[in-house]
Amino acid sequence: MANSEHTSKQFDADLEDIRSRVLQMGGLVEIQLTTVIEGLATGGEDIISRVIETERRVNNYEKEIDDACVHVVARRQPAASDLRLIMSVSKIVTDLERMGDEAEKIARMARSIYGRGALTIPRSIDLRQAGNKAAMILRRVLDAKARLDTAEAEKVIAEGKLIDTEFRGILRQLITYMMEDPRTITTALDIVWIAKSIERVGDHAENIAEQVIYIVDGIDIRHTGLPPAPAPEESA
Amino acid sequence: MPIGFSLTFKLLLIAFGAVSVGLWLGETAGWVAACAGLALLHVLHVYQLARLQRWLQSPKADELPDPWGMWGAVFAGVYRALRMESRKRDEVSRDLELFTQAAQALPDGIAMLDSGDQLLWCNDTAAQHLGLQPGRDYGLRVTNIVRVPRLAAFLQDVPAEETLDFHPAHNAGQLLSLKAIPFSDGRKLLVSFDITKIERADTTRRDFIANVSHELRTPLTVIHGFLEHMSDATVMPAEQVRRHIALMVQQSDRMLKLVDDLLMLSRLEGSDAPQREERVDVHAMLHALADDARALSAGQHTINVTVDEDAAISGSADELRSAFGNLASNAVRYTPPGGAIALTWCVDEQNRGVFSVADSGIGIAAEHIPRLTERFYRVDRGRSRETGGTGLGLAIVKHVLLRHQAALHIQSEPGKGSEFRIVFPVWRGVVDKPAARADAA
Repeated sequence: MANSEHTSKQFDADLEDIRSRVLQMGGLVEIQLTTVIEGLATGGEDIISRVIETERRVNNYEKEIDDACVHVVARRQPAASDLRLIMSVSKIVTDLERMGDEAEKIARMARSIYGRGALTIPRSIDLRQAGNKAAMILRRVLDAKARLDTAEAEKVIAEGKLIDTEFRGILRQLITYMMEDPRTITTALDIVWIAKSIERVGDHAENIAEQVIYIVDGIDIRHTGLPPAPAPEESA
Repeated sequence: MPIGFSLTFKLLLIAFGAVSVGLWLGETAGWVAACAGLALLHVLHVYQLARLQRWLQSPKADELPDPWGMWGAVFAGVYRALRMESRKRDEVSRDLELFTQAAQALPDGIAMLDSGDQLLWCNDTAAQHLGLQPGRDYGLRVTNIVRVPRLAAFLQDVPAEETLDFHPAHNAGQLLSLKAIPFSDGRKLLVSFDITKIERADTTRRDFIANVSHELRTPLTVIHGFLEHMSDATVMPAEQVRRHIALMVQQSDRMLKLVDDLLMLSRLEGSDAPQREERVDVHAMLHALADDARALSAGQHTINVTVDEDAAISGSADELRSAFGNLASNAVRYTPPGGAIALTWCVDEQNRGVFSVADSGIGIAAEHIPRLTERFYRVDRGRSRETGGTGLGLAIVKHVLLRHQAALHIQSEPGKGSEFRIVFPVWRGVVDKPAARADAA
């Protein structure tokens, strides 16, 4: 186990349970995201219902985990790394839940585009590429969270910036389309929303990566970036 | 007994010395001498004990302190016990290493979990299947890394026979099957199999059955419809009856052709080698094929034949005729009237027999080419059926060529035409002319 043991075995079990449930919730969001990206290509009607169904479970997880965190704080008065864990878990579940929302938004947009009779979504290859990158970043940040691997978390933060670049690229292309043919504007706007959602997923993944660093090193790097001398590599 | 003996001897010596000093210099001096003697003996023993302790911190045979008196036996005893211990430890760790290597060598992934689903050990295959890092992830809950929602429930009450199939997140193209086997005190052995290929084969088989049923059903529906119509209608003009029968004959022909092709395919798949190895006169066969093609074309295409008369090949004539014939009839069917088709048989510069069919037909888009030889794969469903194809022609060609170790190369450009080229291995070539044979040798 990553943390040293407490005198109370139950406390250890509670913490481990919370840690596990966050990652289970992450697993659900991962599946939502990959499903919806796959759906961009096929436009299957079942996909939207599947994503919404999973969304409900993600929301339940959020409530349960938050509740468990409050319980631990009230009953055990955790300190030091345990307290950091609890605090950041309650932030991480918010990020995960928002990611789930974004996945749902993407699914709805895709349905509206296909519903308008388009056989394929224009620029869907770029969208899929960006979406796959976001899914990969989410997977890596959750792995980093499970392993408490700060080096990996730092890499995720760096790669999250690449999604922003990709988003701006898609936007530029869409602007060209819209200028060439105003009839494409409706669809293009929907695609912008999808791209924006994907970009948001990347941002939330970055937030989680920051929380991983906070749990391990106790340094809050939000809004300030990493300290000039990189934190010593954690040897697990 | 030597230790006890040595100690008694020394104590007696001190007592004797003390008594003699006492007799000589008085009682007090005697006591003093006895105390001094005992103190000296004690210091010496403590010194030996200290050396033993220092040596025990890193026991090595060549640094064993010089034995002194009864301590020699103690040192030797400790040393022997240590050596035996370390030999046993070596044996155990060698056995353990052997077991670990055996577990590594298993083709399936093996991961050991404790009662809390925390990873104890896994082999490299499991690490690769599940995205685990051996060593680093030991002690982590396996569900934290393998975040498949169903896995947690699956591990909680381990079903004896059931497996959990899923696509791992880090390698979505793979399909894994997990099995959990409980052992000693709630621990679990997690075994992972890669069933990607099995699943793909299953899908292919299912698709095949669905396709065959569909292909047989279509003509049958037509025949059935006419028959029902004829049985219902009391009076029907003879002309109409004749037309219906002609259509039914046409549809039953299609079914026959399909069943023939299916039988041919299953025969081809039954064995790896041609039924008979014989000398095949390709030029004669090609002229016959060209005649068939002209009959099928009914004068709508120009069909040219270029044959190297001397080159023959060894293989099964029936199978090769079927393969070549399929390519030739495809060329006719997919080339609009007025197009040209060229059948060529020659020997290339590397001495390989090459058969090629080039047409100026509709061509095939690049993305379809790799899948053309799949059974019932059709670029354009409607067109293929309207021209009388069964959807099995190129699958037959592929199997015939596999049995003859030949390769099929397809070059095509939509709208421009296609070329199907069969290249036989050098050793299948049979050259008739003695002079040419000498060249080839």
